[in-house]
Amino acid sequence: MSGGPLIVQSDKTLLLEIDHPDAQACRMAIAPFAELERSPEHVHTYRLTPLGLWNARAAGHDAEGVVDSLIKYSRYPVPHALLVDVAETMDRYGRLQLANDPAHGLVLRALDRLVLIEVAKSKKLAGMLGDKIDDDTIRVHPSERGRLKQALLKLGWPAEDLAGYVDGEAHPIELAEAGKDGRKPWTLRSYQREAVEAFWAGGSGVVVLPCGAGKTLVGAAAMAEAKATTLILVTNTVAGRQWKRELIARTSLTEEEIGEYSGERKEIRPVTIATYQVLTSRRGGAFTHLDLFGARDWGLVVYDEVHLLPAPIFRFTADLQARRRLGLTATLVREDGREGDVFSLIGPKRYDAPWKDIESQGWIAPAECVEVRVTLTDAERMSYATAEAEERYRMAATARTKLPVVKALVDRHPEDQVLVIGAYIDQLHQIGEYLDAPIVQGSTTNKERERLFDAFRTGEIRTLVISKVGNFSIDLPEAAVAIQVSGTFGSRQEEAQRLGRVLRPKADGRQAHFYTVVSRDTIDTEYAAHRQRFLAEQGYAYTIVDADDVLGPKLPTVD
Amino acid sequence: MTTSLADHLRSLPDESLAALLQLRPDLVVPVPADVSALAIRAQSRVSVARALDGLDQFTLGILDAARLTRHPDEGTTATDAVLAMATTGPHPPAPTAVRAAVNRLRALFLLYGPEHALHVVPAVDEVSPYPAGLGRPAAELDPRTAALCADPAKLRRTLLAAPPSARAILDRLAAGPPVGSVPPGALQAPPIGAQDAVLADPTNGGAPTGSPVRWLVDNRLLVSVSAGSSTASGTVELPREVGLLLRRDSGPLGPLRTSPPPVATAPREPKAVDSAGAGQTMEVVRHTEGLLEQLAAEPAPVLRSGGIGVRDLRRLARTAGLDEPTTALLLEVAYAAGLAGELEMPGSTTGRYGADQQVLPTGGYEVWRAASLAQRWEHLAHAWLTMTRQVGLVGRRDDRDRPITALSAEAERAGAPATRRAVLGVLADLEPATAPTAEEVQALLDWRAPRRSRGREAAHREVLAEAAQLGVTGLGALTSYGRLLLGELTSADEPGGDPLGLHVDAESGDPSSAARALDALLPAPVDHFLVQADLTVVVPGPPEPALAAELEATTEPESAGGASVHRVTTASVRRALDAGYTADDLHELFRRRSRTPVPQGLSYLVDDVARKHGGLRVGSAGAYLRSDDEALLTEVLADRRLESLTLRRLAPTVLSTPYQVSRLLGALRDAGYAPVQEDGTGGTMLSRPRIRRAPARVAVTTRTLDPLAAPKLPMPRLLGVVEHIRRGDAAARAARRAPAVVRGGAAGLGGGPVPAHTHSEALAVLQQAVRDKALVWVGYVDAHGATASRLVKPVSIGAGYLRAEDERTEMLHTFALHRITAAVLAD
Repeated sequence: MSGGPLIVQSDKTLLLEIDHPDAQACRMAIAPFAELERSPEHVHTYRLTPLGLWNARAAGHDAEGVVDSLIKYSRYPVPHALLVDVAETMDRYGRLQLANDPAHGLVLRALDRLVLIEVAKSKKLAGMLGDKIDDDTIRVHPSERGRLKQALLKLGWPAEDLAGYVDGEAHPIELAEAGKDGRKPWTLRSYQREAVEAFWAGGSGVVVLPCGAGKTLVGAAAMAEAKATTLILVTNTVAGRQWKRELIARTSLTEEEIGEYSGERKEIRPVTIATYQVLTSRRGGAFTHLDLFGARDWGLVVYDEVHLLPAPIFRFTADLQARRRLGLTATLVREDGREGDVFSLIGPKRYDAPWKDIESQGWIAPAECVEVRVTLTDAERMSYATAEAEERYRMAATARTKLPVVKALVDRHPEDQVLVIGAYIDQLHQIGEYLDAPIVQGSTTNKERERLFDAFRTGEIRTLVISKVGNFSIDLPEAAVAIQVSGTFGSRQEEAQRLGRVLRPKADGRQAHFYTVVSRDTIDTEYAAHRQRFLAEQGYAYTIVDADDVLGPKLPTVD
Repeated sequence: MTTSLADHLRSLPDESLAALLQLRPDLVVPVPADVSALAIRAQSRVSVARALDGLDQFTLGILDAARLTRHPDEGTTATDAVLAMATTGPHPPAPTAVRAAVNRLRALFLLYGPEHALHVVPAVDEVSPYPAGLGRPAAELDPRTAALCADPAKLRRTLLAAPPSARAILDRLAAGPPVGSVPPGALQAPPIGAQDAVLADPTNGGAPTGSPVRWLVDNRLLVSVSAGSSTASGTVELPREVGLLLRRDSGPLGPLRTSPPPVATAPREPKAVDSAGAGQTMEVVRHTEGLLEQLAAEPAPVLRSGGIGVRDLRRLARTAGLDEPTTALLLEVAYAAGLAGELEMPGSTTGRYGADQQVLPTGGYEVWRAASLAQRWEHLAHAWLTMTRQVGLVGRRDDRDRPITALSAEAERAGAPATRRAVLGVLADLEPATAPTAEEVQALLDWRAPRRSRGREAAHREVLAEAAQLGVTGLGALTSYGRLLLGELTSADEPGGDPLGLHVDAESGDPSSAARALDALLPAPVDHFLVQADLTVVVPGPPEPALAAELEATTEPESAGGASVHRVTTASVRRALDAGYTADDLHELFRRRSRTPVPQGLSYLVDDVARKHGGLRVGSAGAYLRSDDEALLTEVLADRRLESLTLRRLAPTVLSTPYQVSRLLGALRDAGYAPVQEDGTGGTMLSRPRIRRAPARVAVTTRTLDPLAAPKLPMPRLLGVVEHIRRGDAAARAARRAPAVVRGGAAGLGGGPVPAHTHSEALAVLQQAVRDKALVWVGYVDAHGATASRLVKPVSIGAGYLRAEDERTEMLHTFALHRITAAVLAD
């Protein structure tokens, strides 16, 4: 028994004991092939998945090495069956290769003839494969490249794509590291450089970097490497403008070279930033903005927040297999379980931030999460008890009792910028009136929105009430306090977005606070339990207090 | 002069005979009456086949050499001739190895006689008709072929003239076996190269360009040995001379290998092997327990044709998170280990025995569950080694294309334990931690006992796969504890090693050495856990029983394996409170067991649940008693005759009792009240599901390892057997020596009535013998009218009977005097 920090469970989870002296080394060893699932304070949970193993394989790790590190760090005997399974799974990657044959064009080539025979017979591949060239090679029509890769992955024989890429329309792009327009010179951080190199060597793929690690710069550097027209796909307009700002500041690109393709503007320029939303909008059942993909001979396609990529985009991406694709994300985990499509259509994981950098991002409680439980008044309880099931959450979440608590919380942090986040407009208006603070909601125009955000940034406005629109891609670097009054605890990933935006490490190292005001003994508490679990799994400190502790006079502290 | 095997055996010293019996234990079942019977049995086809089964490839090759070198007339051979033939090949084996093989064969009495005149037991030819894969001599087959073979130069020329397709057939037959079947009509087809070949009818089975077989037969290189009609498929045989000529390069016996084929794979780290195996053992035990728990929750019905259905197996596999073959294996092993058994289904509709049965965990399962991990595994592994089931058949189809189900009779194979032992024996004989490939194991088995391993390749692969699955092997090599387990089983099979049962282990409850070795590899139980803010509780190892019980009461399991992850939820805390824990108990429990500070969220959760706990009150009652008449209820409550019911007043109009309705009803009626039972709707009747168990079964592990293997006998017993045979032999010989007058009895006198004088003479002789205490041959007519004779010592004569002692059997016999036909004093 080696007494290592790792415990390998038979359900393919790996438990890593953080306090063990070898924990660091072990983390380095298993990070390439295991997905971090939960990272609470003492024991982190990783999971071995076929995709994770194939990602490792694509990155050049072999089964022997994976098995070795499992055995080396494992505290207890590792089940033989699991080791066999790992080796067999990894062995499946790359038995088939997509390659460019000088004579026949795109071909599917087998390093293992039996595998080719097996997949060629599969019904799922019907129509994708052309005629047989020889025993080991089958012709593939270039238009089927993406779909074939998808289908092969589903069959469990992921193909290695060695067919190369078109160069696309050349366009000069340089990183402006010397400083531009009087800005200070800067350099690409080492891990950003490594990420770009790994991506470029691999051709296409996903770079995984934690929030705030400068994913935009990785995109910019990749563009500078490609020196070609680039299509950038982002989640929404605000994020798109942020990309634009960053690109103008950090590269040789000028405002005129960057186009915005959104609900408001439809510009197609050498570098075009489009939102997922506009691309997936339909009229009469047809996607109306598909032409964008063919509008130029794009040399590079950048996908921001790959884990949010909507399903239709995958379908378009299947046709873009001859173009270089760069995916940027903080996590490969998708709510809809379509990690496989990311793997086959955008590419395997090319770079994962080294552990040290994640650590400096502060995985150890960068913020204090506090759940404040409010006791409903008897009248509220009674109306809650008799409410229809679908009305219950709304009743609980928008209880008026929450208002004084919110006010007390805001007053607790007189020095800080405070965001109040909610899901119900009526409630937000109530709060806005109660706190005398402006509201950003869906109907707020983009212009007004940016004005308010700017004011918030400069400190003109201390408290801002925002609705669900604030969930995605808003950049509020100085919001040190967030108070959530209601929400639709839908997906973990929405929660991650919402919290991640607020809980960024502050420039001056101040503690950030995240409050959730919850009605006791209602369905609200149950949602809060999900939240508690999610946050704790991310390693955030989480405490639960009663509203009376917030409202009442501050207890004299001992220290 | 030929001596019979019986004579030869008779001339042997006792020790040699005993050695033979030890080598071929099947000869003493039952104990033969005398040496002749022993000789006959030793030459019987069955016994010879058994002896041959155990021989390795090389020894069989040497036996073939002995058969080939037999003198055509005398049928004997000599060691030197065998040696000469065996060493003619390009890679001749060492003469000492050949001599050793000959000695082995002589010890088995497959060869007997002096070195210069060795006999081969004739049954060998019956058991394997073609020595060394060579056909019969041409002289036995066909005179014309014999003539060709007699002319070596011509034979060679004919061979060289053979077309390539014909040559290919020859080479295949030369490698053995030397007979091949040909499609019907092939012999009628024109030979290859013939003028009319191109025009041949393609429907006659021969290729349109002519039949190579026909060519070979026409040129006398093959002999058609089928006597059937021209349309039937024929058989051709390659004459021995032609075969030998074709084997010029490899030697007459084909390639001979004195030692087992080497294993090319590099040995693994023994620690890694043990570790991988130990990891697997934990899995096996855990999965078996999971499966049996699943069976307890939802028993699997037994099909009418036996076994449990495919759908049930699939269900079990799904809930246990296993694949179906593994589920079938674990189920079979658990059944063989006596952990699962059948029980009549409750509410069975038919009275027919075995009509509606289901498979459930047995009572033995409880005992098993209480044992340590290593012991539990050992119990399973032991059952696997000894069970006569070939689990690999489950899921396949039988001869009638019906699926073979788990636990059904179709998967029963009596030879399975021997196969397992053979395969694992191969692994055990290699260096520790050597992990041969399946092909290498097969090659080793082929060398060790080719007659036994032939045709069992699939079974061998299955054994290897199952051994890996059960953790007997790790990373393809036998684990240290697996080796010990195998050793224990093998030694348990030899009663001679432990006649007094001094080393009883399994029964006395002490862990065996295998279990102890495994125990050292498995993680030690831990008594603490780590609590985290996401309300998970991680036990970094197998929990102690006390800790496991506490966790079962207070948490939900999430992930299992070497360690276990549990989650504290509202429901689990509520359950703990229900089970009698108080909030303080829970705080104390987490504080005491946790190595890490208890997170605030957990404490809050416990307090929050505890606050709400008990807001509603629920009780359980066996039955209730309800009446609108409060006075009547008060009377019942006060009735001393009903005290035993421990009635309790819940409300003015409701009483409750912990006893069942029937008892309450009966007691009330006995006391003179007139209660009426209420319909159950709206009632608070609670019932707890009874845990049902099938009756205890005897584990298969109490059987010996291989029911087919003959018992091994210790030396003293063998010598006893030999003595018995000897005495029988002496008696038989003596019987032949009996004087003619006695032997012939009445028959010698033409079947007429016994003359009076002969009878009185006999009586006189007997009386004289009683006085002299002399041995007498007595001829008599037995109860069936047959005449018999016996050498006895008369003891007394009286009341019409002679009482005499038989020296051989040391028994007192009583003969009716009127049946005695003759008596002669023995000389």
